[in-house]
Amino acid sequence: MISRALLVSLALVAASGSALAADPIKIGVPVGLSGANSVVAPSVVQSAELAVDEINAKGGVLGRQLTLDVADDASGAAGAQKAFDALVFQKKVNVLISMETSAARNAGLPIVARGKTPFIYTSFYEGRSCSPYLYVNAWVPEQQVPPIVDYFNKEKKATKYFLIGSDYAFGRGMLSFTKAYVEKTGGKVVGEEYLPMDGSDWTPIISKLKASGADAIITSTAGGAPNVTLTKQLRAAGVSLPYGNLAVDEGTAKSMGADAAGIYISASYVTGIDSPANKKFLAAMSKKFGADLKTPNDLSVPEYEGVYAYKAAVEKAGSTDSQKVLAALSEVSVEGPRGTIRMDKQRHAPLTMYLGQVQSDGSVKVIQSFPNVDPGAQCPPKS
Amino acid sequence: MLTVALDIVTTAALLFIISSGLLIVFGVMKIINFAHAAFVTVGAYATLVGARLGLPWILVLPLAFVTGAICGALTEAIIVRWLYRRPLDAILATWGLGIVIGQIVTLIFGREVQFVQAPITGTVDLLGVDYSAYRIVMIGAAVIVALVFTTLLNGTRLGLSTRAVIMNEMLAQGLGVDSSRVRLITFAIGSGLAALSGALITPLSSVDPNMGLPWLISAFMLVMVSGGSLMTLAVSSLMLGGLQVIVSTFVNPILGGLTIAICAAIVLRIRPEGFARA
Repeated sequence: MISRALLVSLALVAASGSALAADPIKIGVPVGLSGANSVVAPSVVQSAELAVDEINAKGGVLGRQLTLDVADDASGAAGAQKAFDALVFQKKVNVLISMETSAARNAGLPIVARGKTPFIYTSFYEGRSCSPYLYVNAWVPEQQVPPIVDYFNKEKKATKYFLIGSDYAFGRGMLSFTKAYVEKTGGKVVGEEYLPMDGSDWTPIISKLKASGADAIITSTAGGAPNVTLTKQLRAAGVSLPYGNLAVDEGTAKSMGADAAGIYISASYVTGIDSPANKKFLAAMSKKFGADLKTPNDLSVPEYEGVYAYKAAVEKAGSTDSQKVLAALSEVSVEGPRGTIRMDKQRHAPLTMYLGQVQSDGSVKVIQSFPNVDPGAQCPPKS
Repeated sequence: MLTVALDIVTTAALLFIISSGLLIVFGVMKIINFAHAAFVTVGAYATLVGARLGLPWILVLPLAFVTGAICGALTEAIIVRWLYRRPLDAILATWGLGIVIGQIVTLIFGREVQFVQAPITGTVDLLGVDYSAYRIVMIGAAVIVALVFTTLLNGTRLGLSTRAVIMNEMLAQGLGVDSSRVRLITFAIGSGLAALSGALITPLSSVDPNMGLPWLISAFMLVMVSGGSLMTLAVSSLMLGGLQVIVSTFVNPILGGLTIAICAAIVLRIRPEGFARA
């Protein structure tokens, strides 16, 4: 009797084992559906959905379908711990592909390392995040800041810069790089001020800005509410200096209306990129989401390409084994809306950057493009 | 220097407008309404709806006030009325209610940041300083709020009953004052004021489901320090708001964000009655 029971259970195990091979590949997307990133998060999820649909329609990856598990990280560390924990250990996802705040990413990395799960980070960030499980296909300060500062130096004859940010890793990281770059190119930083992430009254900072005699402003706030309140209050205070915003995306700029007009942005993606791949992507997005489409942007398009990068890496590795996929990720390249992206520079990617200016109708006009900007030494090997 | 002075006065005006609703509720009921932040948010969304319907600004403000007052009246009748003898439970209940309201707002309008066009844009020239016109208007708005509610409290029958309830509720009831009606009306007015303040800050702020929260702690501290009258609230807004601006300007804005909470704690340690009867 006992041996028969054993046989039956062995047969069951074998059956479930073969079912496992055809199981879908699970992609975890921890993203800030609430909190500071809530403005942009829906567009990120839409990007991921389109990529997954397209890949599944063509037969999936290694014959397996892709599924998405989206979890809210509340745009912060505490929420991210819960979201990563649930995705890595309960849902047992094969990979994490997502755009998040730096606080959320930093909180998630130890969990990713414990679960040995590859993590493709698709948000621009302050740079130098070097977990062996982490790949980044978006820009770092070395790629984003120079176009704006170079343009202000040359075209606006700016010499005195005033920097304003939200008090968190991204805000401070971006602005400390900006400060170093401004000083390296012969300019001077006459003020550098921060407000807590939930702060909403920028009045004293704006008064200092006006008293400082600055001839250009560069800001790096958290996306969403802080960016909106700062821009509104700058405009209400009559500030009309050249204004470079390191954290505004096209969608936010559009909904801000007249207040956003004139802002300079530097991005690896704008909807106006004139390439067949981008036009095909935009057409597929509006076909899939219709009136619900959130404008694709510099935070959502890398998510789309991130899913394709994972597909290419799994196909190259021949399995979803974490170590093999991680090794393959630096070798594969993706032809996406932003061009050819290969994360081969210390797990970061060279990118073509665009300097744009927000027009009064909310659209972004490309003023200049900077091809294949190198991310620099983000994670130099320790020797 | 003039800019700092203007920053102080306009910041105090904003703080006063936002705290006044909380103060009126606290003064009469000895209850801290932690749903205050949610009512501020409700007011901002009422403004958003009004603006989308194309209402002129002068009608949007009463719309926000009435929306807040209705929410407040319902809250009093359904939740707060049963908790007057349990002020700690009332804090929990109103805090929870604030979360519920925030989620309802999210369900209806989505989590994302919304935008309301400002009725007044640009700057005015004040003694050689270019200053945000809308912030100057806020000073006037604070004065109007103060005048209207001082008159209401000191010049009307309702105000008389309210003051009677504040001083000695048992005695007031004995003299035939319907104290539960007074409380209902006061709570509605306080919530209406919160919503009105939400409407008034929309041109300076984004409209999102959590927009009221950053203001709640400052408002709470100011009400604690001021001890119950609109006059002392104005004084404490000017003093603590002023200190916040000074610290933000001359030290740094992150410490500035802590100033009100720290100063309030110090004031209450030295003078538990705050600025009241000072």
